[in-house]
Amino acid sequence: MGETTRARFDDDVVIEASGLERTFGEVVAVDGIDLAVTRGEVFGFLGPNGAGKSTTVRMLTTLLRPTGGTARIDGHDVEKSAAAVRRIIGVALQDASIDPLMTGNELIRLQAVLHGISRSESRSRGAELLARVGLAGAAGRRVATYSGGMRRRLDLALSLVHEPSILFLDEPSAGLDPTSRLALWEEVRRLNSELGTTVFLTTQYLEEADELAGRIAIIDRGRLVREGSPEDLKSMVGSPTLRVDVDPVFLESARRVLVGFGPERPAREGRLAIGLDEGATRVAEVVRALDDAGVTVSHLELDAPSLDDVFADATGRRLEGAEK
Amino acid sequence: MTCSPTRLAVALRELKSERPTVSAGAATGLRLARVQTLALTRRSVISEWRQLGNVIPGIVFPLLLAAVYTHQFTRVILLPGFPVVDSFLDFVLPASLVQSVSFGATEAGTELARDIENGFFDRLRVSPCTRLPLLLGRLGGAVVVAAAKGVLIIAIFLLFGAEIAGGPAAAVVLVAAAVLLVIAIGGLGQVLAIITGSQEAVNATFPLVFTSIFMSSAFFPTNLMSGWFREVAEANPVTWIIDPVRRLILDGWSWSDAGQALAVPLVISVVTVTMAVVALNRKLGSS
Repeated sequence: MGETTRARFDDDVVIEASGLERTFGEVVAVDGIDLAVTRGEVFGFLGPNGAGKSTTVRMLTTLLRPTGGTARIDGHDVEKSAAAVRRIIGVALQDASIDPLMTGNELIRLQAVLHGISRSESRSRGAELLARVGLAGAAGRRVATYSGGMRRRLDLALSLVHEPSILFLDEPSAGLDPTSRLALWEEVRRLNSELGTTVFLTTQYLEEADELAGRIAIIDRGRLVREGSPEDLKSMVGSPTLRVDVDPVFLESARRVLVGFGPERPAREGRLAIGLDEGATRVAEVVRALDDAGVTVSHLELDAPSLDDVFADATGRRLEGAEK
Repeated sequence: MTCSPTRLAVALRELKSERPTVSAGAATGLRLARVQTLALTRRSVISEWRQLGNVIPGIVFPLLLAAVYTHQFTRVILLPGFPVVDSFLDFVLPASLVQSVSFGATEAGTELARDIENGFFDRLRVSPCTRLPLLLGRLGGAVVVAAAKGVLIIAIFLLFGAEIAGGPAAAVVLVAAAVLLVIAIGGLGQVLAIITGSQEAVNATFPLVFTSIFMSSAFFPTNLMSGWFREVAEANPVTWIIDPVRRLILDGWSWSDAGQALAVPLVISVVTVTMAVVALNRKLGSS
């Protein structure tokens, strides 16, 4: 019985990596990571620039050979059965790389032919996809005339032509305006909930990972540093974070006061942060203590744990672009 | 171990039913590769069509050069040892054609480098398309442009009084040889594109191709050359293509000349396209 359960669980793991590694000369871009993404999940792969997210995606999507470890997509080895992997995955890579001389329609049809879809089917499916990503009106225009957001949406449509069961999105909302970003999130949610598409999403935006992913892995310097649901990861950090801005001359005296209330946490320059047990109920006490020490506070805020706190807790650094 | 007749019959039936499936799979694979190559060729032709301005210098410059040389070299054709021609125009036709198609020949490599640079090549690579259609498809545009240029250049030459002694069949060989030459040069451009991933690096080879035409029998017969230049010209594959093509134009139809005119660029094409496939396989293994 136990074996049957395990077999069923293994069947449901559609993205699996074991000790996956990639080096470029002396540089270790991905340093032996293990992953197990189950069917129907939206899996967020969160990390700063250069952490190894794209390198991992390129290995999982057969674009780059691993220098160590193995990876399987729905049971197919990415090296030995690359063709089988390519048939079942959809990929929207970073930078929406699309031929600017072609029109949206032409690219959709090309993509369909490459996947062996008949002309008549590609026509109807392409029209439907372009309409869904809001490009029906621009389908006959050359990509060179598209905005960055339109290119992203076309890229997403191209990756969906063959109705893949597993979708890889590498930094899908990088460079998008807020409206386009929300529309993209909506589409990812729809694909996942209506079609059951497994989504592997890399992002450096905490909000995006928080909004979309049921489970998150945090990667830093090629290694996985945390993995779990956003809620679990946040609860692991524990207490809320109290952030205090003070004049640089008071920095050391403020630090001496604050560490009496909780462990110091990483913060940007000119700011101090501590984990504050019991949160809001002790803020007044902290303020009084700072006042007694003669520290002038210019700004103070109390935040429930965020994914940035999780990242900071795991790495001792803040994510690039994070405000805190 | 025993095997009942029923089980044996079932096993045989399964075996029989598997056979057509396997060959059908291979046939489907080949059909898909053909369809993919055609689709990628179509894309490549569209790209060429939308950058038609790039084609014009490749037609104008060789025609201008042919016009200038024909007027400058009116007495050159009287030199002892020079092929018997009515006009230098007849002599220079294959040179003009080769020169014209060479203008667009590196384009296949440049376009591939552009796809690699802007990342579109990755999108093609994550589709279930094998490597040969990816490369051949990218050559398709250059091939169509070369064929069109060939027909146009021959038509213009005929209009200005050139004669092709080998007749229409020789004209077809002329165009086919030019097309094969484009594949040969384009394949080499693709090798460079794959190795460097840079359009500039591929473009930098154009002067080499251009110079190799001048260092052949394109504008002067090798028997009237001397010294190292003659040795270089005689060893130059461009000469091996131009000489038989020229004999088809000046002397008339000959199967052996037609064969040589096509075989030389065909062999080079096979070599360079194979090199491109090998380079791509290596690249995908190492990057």
